[in-house]
Amino acid sequence: MLPVPGYEQFCDDLSTLLSTYPPSFIYVQDIESIRTTFNVIDTVLRDVSQATPPQNTFKVHYVRVDAISCFTARLFFETVINTLVGWEPKWEDGCTNWSPENELRWNENLDTFLHGLRAAHQHLCQQHGIGATDKGKGKQREGSYDDVRFVVVVERAERLKENLPDMIVPLTRLTEMARVDLTVIFVSQVGWEHIRPPLGASPDPYFMDIQGISKDNVAKSLISNFSSLSVSEDILNNPYHPALASLYTHFITTLCDICFPFTHDPQELQYIAAARWPGFVKPIIDAYKQQLDEQMDENGLEFTPPSEEVRMRLIRYFNPTFTSALEALLPRLTNATDWAKANEPPPNLLSLPRTSTASTTSTSKPDSSNIRALPRMSKFILVASFLASTNPPKSDIRMFGRGLDEKKRRRRATAKTSGKTKSGAPSKIPQRLLGPTAFALDRMVAILGGLLEENDVDTRMGGLAKEFKIPGEYTDMEIGRVGVYSNVIELTSMGLLHRTSPPDRLDGPPMFKCAVSYETTLLLAKELDVALNDLLWDPM
Amino acid sequence: MLDVASNLDDISKTTFCIPYRPQEGSDPIEKLKRFIPPTSSSQDYDLENGLELRFEAYRVAWKKCLDRMQGIIRDLQRSTVKAVVQEVRSSYTNILPGLPHPELPVISVINPGLGTSFMENITTELEANNSEVDLPTSVGSSVIHLYPPDLPNLSTGMRAIISGFIEKDERENVKRNSGASMASYNILYLAAWYKSWAKSGGVPQPNLVVVLHDFEQFDPLVMQDVFHICSTQVPLVPLIFLLSMTSPSSNYLNTTYSRSTLSLLRLRTFSAPSGIHILQELVVKTFFHIDFEPDIMIGPAILEYLQDYFTRYNSSTDAVLTLLQLVHLHHFTTDPFSVLVHQSPSAGVLSQISSKPFLEMLKARIALLLDDNDDAMNVEDWQSLATASVVTTIDEARSEFYLRARNIRKAFGVMLRIQTVLESNGHKGLEWTLNAENSGRVCNVLLDILRGQLSRDVKRLGLIIKKLSYDELRAVVNSVHRYVFTMPPQACSEEPEARAHIAYYYSQLPDGPHVSTPEIAAHFSNWITKYLGDKLLPLDDVDLWDVWYAGITPFPSELINPSIRASIIAGLLRPHEFLEDLEIRVVRQRPIPKALWELPDTSILFKRYLDSGKMVNVYDWYEAFKSVLDTQRTQLLEAAAMSSGTPSSSPRKRGRKPKNQQPLLDTTEVEEEKWGIETQARFIRALHELDYLGFIKHTGRKADHVLRTVFDVDDAE
Repeated sequence: MLPVPGYEQFCDDLSTLLSTYPPSFIYVQDIESIRTTFNVIDTVLRDVSQATPPQNTFKVHYVRVDAISCFTARLFFETVINTLVGWEPKWEDGCTNWSPENELRWNENLDTFLHGLRAAHQHLCQQHGIGATDKGKGKQREGSYDDVRFVVVVERAERLKENLPDMIVPLTRLTEMARVDLTVIFVSQVGWEHIRPPLGASPDPYFMDIQGISKDNVAKSLISNFSSLSVSEDILNNPYHPALASLYTHFITTLCDICFPFTHDPQELQYIAAARWPGFVKPIIDAYKQQLDEQMDENGLEFTPPSEEVRMRLIRYFNPTFTSALEALLPRLTNATDWAKANEPPPNLLSLPRTSTASTTSTSKPDSSNIRALPRMSKFILVASFLASTNPPKSDIRMFGRGLDEKKRRRRATAKTSGKTKSGAPSKIPQRLLGPTAFALDRMVAILGGLLEENDVDTRMGGLAKEFKIPGEYTDMEIGRVGVYSNVIELTSMGLLHRTSPPDRLDGPPMFKCAVSYETTLLLAKELDVALNDLLWDPM
Repeated sequence: MLDVASNLDDISKTTFCIPYRPQEGSDPIEKLKRFIPPTSSSQDYDLENGLELRFEAYRVAWKKCLDRMQGIIRDLQRSTVKAVVQEVRSSYTNILPGLPHPELPVISVINPGLGTSFMENITTELEANNSEVDLPTSVGSSVIHLYPPDLPNLSTGMRAIISGFIEKDERENVKRNSGASMASYNILYLAAWYKSWAKSGGVPQPNLVVVLHDFEQFDPLVMQDVFHICSTQVPLVPLIFLLSMTSPSSNYLNTTYSRSTLSLLRLRTFSAPSGIHILQELVVKTFFHIDFEPDIMIGPAILEYLQDYFTRYNSSTDAVLTLLQLVHLHHFTTDPFSVLVHQSPSAGVLSQISSKPFLEMLKARIALLLDDNDDAMNVEDWQSLATASVVTTIDEARSEFYLRARNIRKAFGVMLRIQTVLESNGHKGLEWTLNAENSGRVCNVLLDILRGQLSRDVKRLGLIIKKLSYDELRAVVNSVHRYVFTMPPQACSEEPEARAHIAYYYSQLPDGPHVSTPEIAAHFSNWITKYLGDKLLPLDDVDLWDVWYAGITPFPSELINPSIRASIIAGLLRPHEFLEDLEIRVVRQRPIPKALWELPDTSILFKRYLDSGKMVNVYDWYEAFKSVLDTQRTQLLEAAAMSSGTPSSSPRKRGRKPKNQQPLLDTTEVEEEKWGIETQARFIRALHELDYLGFIKHTGRKADHVLRTVFDVDDAE
């Protein structure tokens, strides 16, 4: 199999090392496209393990271990040895692990694991006819292996530090401990210096850094995937028809031109391509289908690649949608399947005027109807907590105070803050850009009272409110209700408020943080008829 | 007492429990209570086994109402449930080709308002159709449920997921040697099981559905690893995660999980219906729908509170169900007449001696009604009413009430039909509809109906109909025709006149425009205005209406949603009103305010607290408290001396030891000392209680002073 473009040098180095005299510990670091690197290493190892004696006199058995999946030592041991000997546990046998002849249990601790490794090595040596008797005679038969070599690849090795901190040192010294021909490869996005155990307990690895791949190479590797996708010749079911290969090349080139500045990960670009391609070729397939229908002939029409002119039109038409696909799919605001379905081109695209371009349905806007359905008090609480999280506590009396000349006072505060930027002095960063601050529940409830008194008096039920004569007395009742407190807790459990103080602390008021954005708050404030900007210390 | 006291010196304990042991006759307040008979006004005229009968009636009425509402909720859920089930079934079919790696299907179901039954419906639907797989795209599924405590960490979580599926397997369990086989939290273990299970079942690739309830409460750090591990095995092990969320923001996962985790998932979101729409469906279809006849009709005050509570505090169906259940309970517990809701007691039962007060009360009620209707009847004659005629009167009143309620439903239905047709033709009409998003108006319309204030809307409807064009009029008549002729049989049979009228108008509008359209429209408008006016009569005109109609009874909202601080302060200021509620009802007047010394210690201390400034000097506070206690002591002793005359039975203060019991005149110095210690103890206890309630803030700023936390209490005295 051809190496992935951009990885030629790495593949060469790694396969040479592994088939000759590998260092006992290799560290591969890739910052940008770790999944591609996993695939590349896998390909190299498969090639090496399948090589026969003239090229490689060592029979290589390898295992890829994911440090997230193997979160305990036992899982790690089981995965390594079962995979090395090619053992597949069967449910019918009670999922027993591979076991050597002497019935040794090797998944208990590191010591038994080392014994297990040796037993596995011995087992594989016997399997490949590498016997002790052969070794003694010096020369070996033609076409047989010299020895069995193990390669253990630990993917996402940075997670070892949390999951199996005790395993890092033994793993890096596994060759000398197991006393078999063995190489450990760590693959990680993080540098070795962040994982390295203290006090020099581990030997320094052989470093292999993956350079970022260039745009051309990414495009090439994506294009090379086409052949594996075009397995079916049935164009009506599989849009990856061999005849479309040249169109795909152009498609990928354009896509990479547009999207490469934003992400260098080939997997992400492939994801976007997969979402866009079915819609991109749909006009051609539709035209073909129409022809088929007109001809009424079952198998007379050969599917032909589109003309240059059609290709230009398609690229031109779909050009703007690449960006919107990137915007929606890179942060996974939606998934590729749904995006592809939502952005299918109109059925008669090729007959449209040439200048038209596709418009995408905006998927990035989160659905606000659920937020709107919140109870009124929850909305008020969210607005109040947003204010409590963005306004400094000292400003509350000015923003919400209701003295005799309260109107005047508040305006002044707003006017003063809007003209805040003084020349010379570095302007202070507004709080809403710094993120929410924690506030005490009491303070939020007080702000809530202010908001309710100003904006909620009209919607109250008539019967109850008549009993209260002192201004603000009813509001005072409202903010102390059980419903308010239970709504705060409910919003916290929904993740719209964050509780920053531990729940078991009884002293002092509980502290919260607002977890909704300015946009959402603005939406809520509009619903409630609250002039949010007038109440912000740093208005927008 | 003694055994407790002996333990008090135990320094190994931090707290002691001294149980309250009231002693017979020792407490003046206890004694006072015995003078008041334990009866209330409502129990005066109850039937002998009235409580049981009413409870039975309540059960029947509420069950009927509840079944109806649960049916409505199921209808509301149906479309979303169907969509989610379909999505789960087809999760592993029609996968987009060309993806860089297989994705783990994750379906988040946002359900803010429909309660827990929603998720249950989904899972039962998923499990129910396991055996009958008819569509080629849909496959069976095995469902497990996990809750936040099931996943405290990764190994426990993975074990919970894996063993959850394996335990559901009904095949004979394979023997496992735990040491020699794979760890039970290894995902490969699940994969091995799945391989053998899928082979044995015969069903092609059944899905494994993990339902995570309260997904927001799961630890994201654990969950991201679970997602990662599970995604390594798709599509060989077709796992599907169903997340049950209440968070209304549809991008909870986007804000909580990292992009690297999200890129492993194929996330789809479904939202259950929410908002005022739910309440409206529930209220309209339960109380204002011709297909259903509730036993108890809610009144405007309750409906208004229901609407207010729903929109303001808790927009969920569970809240509506709870409130309406309380309404039913309240209705059946307060009024003994509510026993008549379903059937009248036989004359035999009524003539029993024990039901005499009930019968007399009933007769008085009926006589009052007759008196209104017929001036010739003397009020005094009510005694002479025959028991049998009482029963018939009740039965008549019942059918009269239900007829009137049905009429209201019919009229509302007709108006709703006309309004819907008008709206679909682009008219504003009466500006209320069931379907629009901002449909809160309908609740107000229902309120108007119950209050009998809808005549304006009826008139306007008539005016609008007069101006309709031919096609629109035809559509309106058509719709009303269909409505009137598809009513349930009983309702239908009550409306021969309306049916005849509608059929007449229906036949008057042949295909194609006609010259006489305005004429017909005017006729139709007049008739419909009159018809609606006749039907929309207030419910509280009917005899004995309060048996079936909650009327203007206010909802006990302060019990459902009290204001914590106000309740505590009210409790401290007027403790007796909370304790002796029943007595007040008997007297039916405002209670005589108690003197300060009659209050419990905490209340006395609190009253004095209200008199102080911003900071309270604890010693002054104690002095003030002590002076009140002194008054209390003197008053009680005097009262005791006056009531009994013998010093031996003089009552003591509450919670006092027997040896404290001494006549007033015998106060020695030792007694005084003991009294002083006692006041101190009572002061400290009351102080701690106030402290515990949060009325005191301790600051080190000033010696012997504490800070007040509550000001400006509206104290009537």
